[in-house]
Amino acid sequence: MDQPNAIIHQPVRLKIMAALRALPQGEQLEFVRLKAIVGTTEGNLGAHITTLEEAGYVAVEKDFVGKRPRTRVALTKEGRRAFEDYVSDLRAIIDATRTE
Amino acid sequence: MTLSRDEAASTLRDISKTERRSSELFGYRFGAPHLFLWGAIWMVAYGAGYYRPHWTLVWPVLAIAGSIGSFLIGWRMKTGRANAFGWRFGGTFLSVVLFIGALFAIMPPHTDAQVAAFFPILVALFYLLIGVWTGGSRMIVLGLAMGALTLYGFFNLAPYFALWMAVVGGGGLILGGFWLRHA
Repeated sequence: MDQPNAIIHQPVRLKIMAALRALPQGEQLEFVRLKAIVGTTEGNLGAHITTLEEAGYVAVEKDFVGKRPRTRVALTKEGRRAFEDYVSDLRAIIDATRTE
Repeated sequence: MTLSRDEAASTLRDISKTERRSSELFGYRFGAPHLFLWGAIWMVAYGAGYYRPHWTLVWPVLAIAGSIGSFLIGWRMKTGRANAFGWRFGGTFLSVVLFIGALFAIMPPHTDAQVAAFFPILVALFYLLIGVWTGGSRMIVLGLAMGALTLYGFFNLAPYFALWMAVVGGGGLILGGFWLRHA
C-alpha cells in the first residue's frame, strides 16, 4: 500500500483525526480547543470538519451553553477504524522500505 | 499519489505530536475542577488554622468533604479513560494514606507547622510526577511553584505560615485551575 486514505492524509484533517483519536472513545472535543490544537483558522477548520463528517469519520454536535453556541466534535467508530488503518498503512510503508 | 518512507515517518511524527498535545489538554481539562475545589479548601482550612487555631476538626472535615467532592467531580466527568483507571486512582489514594501513616509512625512530626508543610510538598510532588509522566509542562510548573512557595513560607514566614498557605497555596491552586482550563 502506498496510496494513503486521501481524506485523512490532508494535513489539517490529519491533525483533527489525531487530536480526536487521542481522546477516550466517545469523548468530544470543543471546536475552540480543536482550533488551538490544529492551529488553523475557524473557516478552514470548519470546512475540513465538514469533509470528515460527510465521510462519516466524525460526528458534530451543536448546542448552547447559556446563550453561547457550542460545537463539539467526536470521532465515530468508522473514523477510528479508518484512522487506525491509515496509521498501519504508514507503518507498512516504513517496514517495507526497511526490509528492502 | 505514492508516499516515500521519509514522508510516512514524518506523517507519523506529526500524528504523535498532535496526539500528545490533545492528550495533555484533555488532562488539564480533567484536572482543573479539582484544583478549584482543593484551592478553596486550602484557603478555608489554612485560614482557620491561622485565625482559629483551636478549630482542630476543620482539616479532617474538609479533607473528607474534598475527597467526596473530588470523587463526584470525577464521576460527573466520567470517561472511558477515567473508568479504565478508576481502580488505580483508588489504589493510589489508599497507598498514599498507608505511606503517610507509616511515615508518621516512624518519624512523627514535632510541630503542627511540619504537618501543614508536609501535605503541600506531597501534592507538589504528585503534580511534578504527573507532569513528568504525561508530558504536561504546566503540571511541572505548578508542582515546582507550589513546592518552592511552601518551603519559602515554612522557613521564612513561620509565624504567618498558615496564612501564607491559605493565600498563596489556596489561591495558587485556584489560579492554577484557571491556567489549566485556559490552556
